[in-house]
Amino acid sequence: MKNLWDIFYKGLFDQNPIFRLALSLCPALAVTSTVTNALAMGLSVMFVITANNVVVSIFRKVVNAKVRVPVYITSIATIVTVVILTLQAYFPDLYKELYLYLNLIVVFAIILARAEVFAAKNGVVPSFFDGLGMGAGFAGAMVFIAIIRELFGAGTLMGYQVMGASYDPALIMILPPGGFVLIGLMIASFNLIGEYQDKAKSAKQGSEA
Amino acid sequence: MSHGANDSIFKIGINLTLACLLASAVIAGTYALTAPVAAKSKIALDNKARKELVADAQDFKAVDGKEGWFAALKDGKIIAYVVPTESKGYGGAINMLAAITTEGKVIDYTILKYNETPGLGDKAEKPDFRKRFAGKTAENLEVVKVPSEDKIQALTGATITSRAVTKGIKEAVEEVTAFTANQKK
Repeated sequence: MKNLWDIFYKGLFDQNPIFRLALSLCPALAVTSTVTNALAMGLSVMFVITANNVVVSIFRKVVNAKVRVPVYITSIATIVTVVILTLQAYFPDLYKELYLYLNLIVVFAIILARAEVFAAKNGVVPSFFDGLGMGAGFAGAMVFIAIIRELFGAGTLMGYQVMGASYDPALIMILPPGGFVLIGLMIASFNLIGEYQDKAKSAKQGSEA
Repeated sequence: MSHGANDSIFKIGINLTLACLLASAVIAGTYALTAPVAAKSKIALDNKARKELVADAQDFKAVDGKEGWFAALKDGKIIAYVVPTESKGYGGAINMLAAITTEGKVIDYTILKYNETPGLGDKAEKPDFRKRFAGKTAENLEVVKVPSEDKIQALTGATITSRAVTKGIKEAVEEVTAFTANQKK
């Protein structure tokens, strides 16, 4: 169980897809201008990455190594299409909000990366937790960026007015340049924390030796 | 590079073909299950959208000879038309439904499909922007950048979207005006 928790947990911080691996920066920029969008996108990706990891893991022994990438992409596209069809039929309102972004999920680097790096080499259960952790890390990072951007850029959170009426929204936070600057700062601070942790670790090992 | 049994181009091809076949089967199966439900929920959603546009309407009737046009009826009389209109925005086509009174005034509109920038252009479907159109006639449908009572004030950071929506609505108003003028003859 400890092992599975580690697999899940590493996606949240140590290998956070956006802040540490710097993967899938495009959606992190494009869909984080409001918290609602970021949350919906994050949850969709979390579902697709987990489902795809499971599928890839199940079929990992029968997929020929030379065509693995097209096969993985086919698998991702199939899962996304099934999600789209289901939402369209049973949750038309939610679909209306999300359809702009759903198709984009097919080409997210992070999903293919986890299939290739993890699910293709591991069993179904660890792959499931890897997908869940990476997805949660992605969703968390998206929401975190969106909270800052929406709060300062529009003065609202999930559409509700938070800042007082006297607050003059900084439009740059909603526009792509503001997103770039913010993500850059986030990656820098995550790297700083990572460096500090590494130092602390090696100092500890040094004293033990 | 080994030439083992598993590396022959035939085997690789079969492998990929099977994967695609399996994927198509899954999608086809899902589609078969969801398509009838999706069609139903689309009709329900469309009617709800029309009802939201013309709150006074009791019923909607398709207009003969005009595809996608619906007449909003109240006490058996036509009070407004709900017409589809299209315009080219920042990210491609914007499909809208516009509700126009028989006198050629805008009541409201809704955006059915668009591809505008999230956070900027998508504000065009929010009530805040839509109410700038209410009661406007064709000659007032013009985008300006300063706050204005009788013109349409552009959305900050989304001038192209604002212009596109206004153009689409204006066309709808002109079409309805032409249509009602024809009917009176």
